[in-house]
Amino acid sequence: MRPSRAHRLPSIAHRLAWTVLGSAVIWSVAVSAAVWLAVRHEVGELLDDTLQGAAEAMRTSVDNGLPTLLPGTGPAPSNRYAWQVVAHGADGQAVVLAASSRAPSAALAATPTAGFLHTPDWRIFGTALGQPGRMLYVAQTQDEQLEAALEVGFSAALATLAVALLAHLWLRGRTVHELAPLQRLSDRLMTHDLLAPGATLGPAERAELQPMHTAIDALSAQLGQRLAQERAFSAHAAHSLRTPLAGIDAQLAVALREAPTALQPRLQRVRAVATRLQRVVAALLALFRSGVELQRSAVDLPALLARLPVDGLAVTTHHTAPIVADADLLSAALLNLLDNAVRHGAHTVRVSTPSPGVLRLDDDGPGVDDARRRMLLAAASDDAADDDLGHGGLGLKLASLVARAHGGTLTLPPAAAGFAVELRLDATA
Amino acid sequence: MRLLLIEDDETLGEGLRDFLAADGHVVDWCRDLASVQALRGEPFDALLVDWQLPDGSGLQWLKTQRTRGVTTPALMLTARDRLHERIEGLDGGADDYLVKPFAPEELSARLRAVSRRSSGSAGATTGFGNVTVDLAAKRVRVDGARVELTAREWAVLEALVLRAGRIVPKADLERLVLGFEAELASNALEVHVSALRRKLGRALIETVRGLGYRIGDRT
Repeated sequence: MRPSRAHRLPSIAHRLAWTVLGSAVIWSVAVSAAVWLAVRHEVGELLDDTLQGAAEAMRTSVDNGLPTLLPGTGPAPSNRYAWQVVAHGADGQAVVLAASSRAPSAALAATPTAGFLHTPDWRIFGTALGQPGRMLYVAQTQDEQLEAALEVGFSAALATLAVALLAHLWLRGRTVHELAPLQRLSDRLMTHDLLAPGATLGPAERAELQPMHTAIDALSAQLGQRLAQERAFSAHAAHSLRTPLAGIDAQLAVALREAPTALQPRLQRVRAVATRLQRVVAALLALFRSGVELQRSAVDLPALLARLPVDGLAVTTHHTAPIVADADLLSAALLNLLDNAVRHGAHTVRVSTPSPGVLRLDDDGPGVDDARRRMLLAAASDDAADDDLGHGGLGLKLASLVARAHGGTLTLPPAAAGFAVELRLDATA
Repeated sequence: MRLLLIEDDETLGEGLRDFLAADGHVVDWCRDLASVQALRGEPFDALLVDWQLPDGSGLQWLKTQRTRGVTTPALMLTARDRLHERIEGLDGGADDYLVKPFAPEELSARLRAVSRRSSGSAGATTGFGNVTVDLAAKRVRVDGARVELTAREWAVLEALVLRAGRIVPKADLERLVLGFEAELASNALEVHVSALRRKLGRALIETVRGLGYRIGDRT
C-alpha cells in the first residue's frame, strides 16, 4: 500500500497530462487564429474576384441591351449579387436606370467610380458602360461576405480542434506509456529488500533509469556488506558477552547451594545484579542491531535506579514527570552514565525529570570546561568516529545511542557545578 | 540422568556440571568435539551442546549424530539468539534451544521437559501400579505414601522410568547411573536395584535374564 502522503504529492503523470492539455488548447487557439486571419484575407480576395468577374460578365450583357437586364431576368451571376445601372449626370445626380431586386433604390455610388468601393452595407465593384456617365455597379452585402468568411473560419477552427484533440489524446497516451517504466520501478522499490542476499534490480527498462538502477544496486551491495560486518561483530560480541555472563550465573547458582546460610543473602543480591547485567547486555546487543523495536512502558525511575547500584555513588531522584521508555535500554544508558560519574570523581548524582520524556543527571564531580563539554557532545553525536571518544566518551556514546533509539537526543547542558547530562527520550520532548 | 555437556567455556562448563550434579545427574563434560570422540557409544539421557566450539560447530556435530540414528534428546546452549538461528538449531536436530545467558534452574526444567517428551510421558508424574513417580519433584510414592530414596537409587529409578516398557541393558544402566565409576564398582547396580525393590515393591523392576532390567508400562 502506498503511503497516504504520496496522494498529496504532485504527480508527474498528472502534471504532464495538464501540460499536454494546456499545450493542445493553446496550439488549437493559436492555429485557429492564424487560420482565421489567413482565411479571412483569402476569402475576401476570392469574393472580390468573383464580384469582379460577375460585374465584367454582366457588363457585356448590359452592353448588348438593357431589356435582358430586367430584374429577375439577368445572367446567373446576377442572382447572387445586387446590381445597378446608374447614369451619373453632369450636375452630379445619379439616376438608377435599372437594378436587381436585391439592390437598394438609391444609387450605390454618388459619383462614377470604377473598381472596388465600400459602403457600410455593401462591397461594390463599379465598371463603366459604353455611354458616358453610365456605370454598372455589382454589389454584395458586407453581411454575406462576413458570413462566408465565418463559415470557412469556423470549419477551419473545427478541423484544428479535432486535430488538437487527437494530438492531445495521442500525446497523453504516449506520456502514460513512457512513464510506465518509472512507475514499475517505483512499484518494485516499494517491495525491494535492499538487504536481501543478492538483491539487485537488474538492467533498467530505459536508459534514463539505468543510473538509478546502478546506484540502488551499489547501495544494496554496500548495505549488505555493512550488514554482514555488523552481524559478524554482533555474533562475536554476543558470544564474548553472553557466555561469561551465563558462566557467572551458573557459578553463583552453585555457590548459593553450597554457601553457608549467612552468605546466602549476599550471594542472592550478587546474582540479582548479575541477572540485571544480563538484561542490560542483552539490551545493548539489541541496540546495536538494526531494526530493533523498543519496548516502551512507563518507567518507575526510583525502582530502576535502585537496581543499578554503583559502588561509591549515592543517587537521589527527584521524579516529577513521567518517563515512558524501554526500561532495559534506559538501564543501559543510566548504568553507563552513573559509571562515568563515579569514574570522574563524583560522589552523588541527582536524577530529575524536568519535563515529560526528559531525564537529567547532575553530579557533584569536578565537571569539565565548555570546550571539553562541546568536544564530548560532538564525540557522542551521530557522525563522531569512535577514535574521538576518548576516556569516558563511550558511556556518553551509548547513552546518546539509547536516546536516539527513542527518537530523542543527548545534550550536555552547562552546569554551575559538576557535570550534567540530559536525555530527551522522545522527539517531542 | 546421565548428561553429556559439550561447552568450551571453563566458568560456564564447571558451573553447569556442578549444578546439574547437585541435582542428581551424572555429567560428562567435554570442552571440545575431539574429546567427545572418546565417549562414542556411551549411553546418555540428554546432550547439552554449545554451538560454537574451538574445533568445530556443535550443531554440525549434532546433525551428524542424528544421521547416525542417535535419538538422544539434545539441547543447544548458545549465544546465538536470532530467530533464523533458533530455527536452524531446532531443524538441525536439537529438541530445545536455550540462549545464553540462562539460569541453570531453567536448564534443569527444560531437561526434565525434554526427557518427558522423549519418554512419551505427558506430565511430570508417572504411575506404575501403586507406585507414582514425580520426576520434576524427585518424589516417589507407594499407595500415596512418600518413600525416601538415595541419590543413586533415584538415578536408577529415573533411568528406568524414562525408558519405561523397554529393556535397559545392565551395562547401559550402570553407565547411565554411575558414569565412569561403573567400572570401579561392579555390583553397585544390583545393590541399588535391590534397595529399590525393597522400598517400592518387587514387581516394579523386572529382571530380564541375560538382557537387563525393565520397568513396566505406565498405568
